This record gives sequence, C-alpha cells and structure tokens, in this order.
Amino acid sequence: MPPPNTPVAHTPRSLSVDFTESLPFHNITVPPPNTPSSALDSPHHNRQYRSRAPQVVEEAVETDSSEIDESQHIDYRALTYADTVNENLICPICKVAFVDPVDTECEHTFCKECIAHALEHNDVCPFDRNPLPQPATLTRSHKIVINQLDSLLVECSSCRAHVPRSMLRNHLDRYCKEALVDCPDKGCLQQVRRKLVDQGCLHNNIACPDCEGIHQEVAMSKHREESCEERQRQCDHCGTNILRCKQTQHEEECVELIVPCIWVQYGCEHQCKRGELNLHKLECNFRLMGPMADILRKEIQTLQSDVRYLTDKEQLQERRIKFLEGGQRESHRHSNYEEWSSQALTPLADSAQVEPLSESTNEYLLNLLGDQERRISQLSSALTELEGKQTMMLFNETVPIKNQIAELQSNQQMTSMHIRWFMNWRKEDQLRLQQQQRRFGGGGGCAGGSGGASESEVDGGGSSSELATPRRSPDSLTRGLVTKL
Amino acid sequence: MATTLATKRLSKELAKITDIMPDGLTLVSATDFTSWTIDLTVLDANPLYLNQTFRLKFLFSDKYPMEPPEVVFVSLHEPPRPIPMHPHIYSNGIICLDLLGQNGWSPVQNVQSICVSLQSMLTGNSKNERPEGDTAFVATNRQRPRDINFYYHDDKV
Repeated sequence: MPPPNTPVAHTPRSLSVDFTESLPFHNITVPPPNTPSSALDSPHHNRQYRSRAPQVVEEAVETDSSEIDESQHIDYRALTYADTVNENLICPICKVAFVDPVDTECEHTFCKECIAHALEHNDVCPFDRNPLPQPATLTRSHKIVINQLDSLLVECSSCRAHVPRSMLRNHLDRYCKEALVDCPDKGCLQQVRRKLVDQGCLHNNIACPDCEGIHQEVAMSKHREESCEERQRQCDHCGTNILRCKQTQHEEECVELIVPCIWVQYGCEHQCKRGELNLHKLECNFRLMGPMADILRKEIQTLQSDVRYLTDKEQLQERRIKFLEGGQRESHRHSNYEEWSSQALTPLADSAQVEPLSESTNEYLLNLLGDQERRISQLSSALTELEGKQTMMLFNETVPIKNQIAELQSNQQMTSMHIRWFMNWRKEDQLRLQQQQRRFGGGGGCAGGSGGASESEVDGGGSSSELATPRRSPDSLTRGLVTKL
Repeated sequence: MATTLATKRLSKELAKITDIMPDGLTLVSATDFTSWTIDLTVLDANPLYLNQTFRLKFLFSDKYPMEPPEVVFVSLHEPPRPIPMHPHIYSNGIICLDLLGQNGWSPVQNVQSICVSLQSMLTGNSKNERPEGDTAFVATNRQRPRDINFYYHDDKV
C-alpha cells in the first residue's frame, strides 16, 4: 500500500473532485427531526420531508455527473482491475470495488451511489434489513478502506497501462498518450489523442489519395487502413492484396519483386526475384569476395574518418603554433599583461598577412576567444581563491583583536569598580575624621546632640553596609575595612 | 443511470456464475441482461424431487438490483421440466417467497443467492401439495408475480 499521503499529493485534480463529491456525504443529514420548523408539524409535511431524504442524495449524484461532463468521465464501475479484488472491498449492491464507500449506522459499507438508490426503494439497510432512520446518516468509510481502494491497480481504458485507481484521473489528465484532449488549436473545438498534440490541429479535411473521399487528417491513417473502399490493391509482383498505404513497406519484402544480387556494388549483375535470391547466393561468383570486400570497405571507411580527424587536428595545431609565434613577437612590445591581452587580436592580423589564404579567420577568432575565455575563468577562479584567503586572514586577525578588546573592557570595569569603592571609603573616612574632631574638640553636652544629628545624617545618606553600624567604635570600623581590603 | 447499473451488475454476476456455478445449478441461457434461465436440482435425496430438474426463469427490470427480479418456474416437455410440488409454488410456476417480493428483497441478493434459497426451500419441504386456492389463483391471475400481494401466512415451510 502506498504511504497514505501519496494519492493526495499527486492528484490535485482528483482531490478536488473527491472533495466536492464527498462533501455532501460527510453527514447526509437533512435537518434533525426536531427542527423547529412549522412545516414539520403536520403529518403531511412530515411525509414530504421523509421523501426528501433520498433526494438530497440524488442531488449529490447529479452534481457529480455535471462535473463529470466537464472533464472526461471515468466510469469507476466499468473499470478493469488488474487483479481480482478482495471480496471485502466489493460493494454487495453493484458487485464491483467500492466507489466512494460510505458506512451505514449498522456498520455496513456500500458505494454511496448504490446505497442512495437502495434507500429510494426501501429505507432499511440492504444487508441486515436494519431500519435506517430517515434521513440516513452515512459516514465516509475509514481511511484505511479508501487507501486500499485507491491502491487497486486498474487498466487505463485508453492505453491499457495499469495504474493505481486513485491515479487514474491524473494519468488521464496528464500522462496517458492515448487519452483524448482538446485540440492544440484554440479555435478548434474537437479532441485529439495526446500523442498527436505536438502535430498541431489535425482536424482539417483532406482528400484520401486512394478513394478521393474527404476525411479529417487525424482519421486519415485509420481510414486508409480500415475503412477506405480503395484501400486494397493487388501487388504488381506477387498478386496478393495489400494496403495501398503500406505499399512501400510491402515492396521491401515482396518475394516476387525482381531485385539485384546483394553483391551488386562489387560487380555482380545478376537479378532475380527476391524469393530466389537465396539460391543465387549459393552460386554467385561474388559469394566469397563479397564479405571480404565488405570488411575492407568498412576498414577503409574507418581509416578515412581517422585521416580526416587527424588532418583537422594538424591544421588546428599549425594555426596555434603560428598564433603563438605571432604572440611572442607582440609580447616584446607589451610587457604589461593587460595591455597585451587587450591587443591580443593583432597577431591574428599579422599571421593573416603572412598566410592569408591558408587560415580561416573565423576559426582563428574562435580559437582566440576560447583562449581568452579559459584565461578569464582561470583568473576568476584565482580571484575567488584570493578572496577566500583574504577573508580568512581578516577573520584570523580580527578574532584576537576582539578578544583583546573584551579583556581590556573587563579590566577597565574592574578598575572603575575599585575606584568607586575607594572613593566611597575615602568619603566615609573623612566623615569619621570630622566626627572625631567634633567629639574631641567641641563642648560636651551639645556635642552629643550634634553628634547624634550628624550620625542620623550619615545614616540617611550612606548606602554602604559599613554605615549601618554607626555606633561602633571607630577602631573596630577601620579594622573591618582593613580585613575587607 | 439505473439501466447501466443493472447491466453492469448483471454482467458481473454472469461472469461469476459462468466461472463457478454452485452444485445443482446450471445456466441454460443468458443471452441478454433482461432474461436468464437456470436449471435447478435439489441436492439431497428428498423423495418429492428425486431425479427431477426444474427450470427457473429470471426477468430483470431496469431497476435491478434495487428491485427484485421476477422469478418463476417454467414447465417444459422436452427436456422434462415440471413445476415442483410445494405449498408455496403455484402450478403456473409463480413462487410465493418473501425474498422475491418488494419488501423482502434487498439489493444485496443476487441470482445465485435466489437459486440457493429456492434450493433450500425445496429441500426443506415434505408436503406434496399446492398452495391453498391454487386452481382459482391460476385461473384468474393476470398480475405479474412481483405485483401480487402475497400474504406470507406460513413461515415454517
């Protein structure tokens, strides 16, 4: 079985058909019985409603057929399957492999068309006579069933090739050589087999060369072979009836036709009917020489072609040598490569002057051009190589620089952190000094008050943790700082 | 639509029964898709039908298999093909079997299953008699078998 997504991925067209077909069938439910509609109240309308149920199904079938008219209709019930289809995949009503299988509530599977028809006659399951509620709720069969059906090999009705059933539409729409497609001429409304599309519109009328009847070009060969009244004639030589359109083919094998001996090119002048040629072969004077001459002829032919090839090559080399000689002479004057290449055409003129008849200018030019192209390609490859090297180098150099920058940045950050901390510490130090000065230098009573005020000031302004213990003795404070450092 | 469905379905059935036909059944003729004849013999040694062969005639409508085919026994002198004696088979060959009526029919049934049902109907019978009112029915009936409303009064036989 193909992977589940293959048929879908490859058959966009059939997919769309599938979709529209299956859409009404996902749930064939006309409004549920208790739909708040006044129409459903009276028994009369109720009956109408019941009879409407199969109609829904019919509508779906109708839309199918209208769609089918547009593209080529595939009659899935008339398909020939490559192998015998498993009994379990055969619809009990139409007795062919399910087409659009749907399941009833009692879990029996039928083609959606078959069950629709069956329900028109009797609203029970055809299989177990289980009454099916009207409208019947038919659900699309399980994917695995559909996959199995899709992978069944069927015979293409046009070209007899075996294709998976799900691919048939795609095959006919795109690939089948025998399928009828629209005529390549837009104005022509007729159809033509796909294999003839390349030949343009073949729907113009032409006269049959045999019976002079007028037929379309597309049908002419069939007409001449099968239906033309004048299609047969007697062979002038053997008297059998042959098709006029096949006359040349017949003449190549007609046993009564007078043909020359097979060794005619080596001098045998014997002529006889083709049928008797075998007898002559045994006694022909050339029967021994013929095969030998054949071998020799072949040998000579190969030798000739070799010689031709070698002469060509030699000429080319001669020309190249001349060109190179001329180039050398020129290069004395142009030491700069670019200048030289821009004037590379001058040697041509020189050599042409030297030997104007022996060279064909065009070939020479072409040679030159080829040379230049080769050089250009060499240069461009060298250039790309250089570019690569350059980028590598650049990269290699920038990486350490970047690293250094990063290192420097971190160093700088560290230093600035240190500085900040140091400055804070100095600020505290100054404050402490001021306090001490006030305590020892100022009056006793008011000193306590002012000291307290300054303390509270410090408490509010300072953010470092050391300042959170202002009442500690200065000694212990400095000691703490020293250990921290 | 229905016509082609009938034809296709019958061609499938025909292909199948020409391939393998169950024991006791012989396809006599099936020239088109409207009427087939099949010879039927009872498989066991029921003394009522011993050494007898019966001929069945099937008539298919356009609506087959949605509608049942008309199935009757036909009588023939040469070769001898009598109408089997059975309390549900009238002497004119009309068979009273719910399977063949509009209500008993199901599109799942087919020619072969009908034949097998009839075979078993004959096999299980032990009464050498015609249905009640056979003479009157045969004399007056002008209806087609499928249009007759049988009263299936006896499911035992």
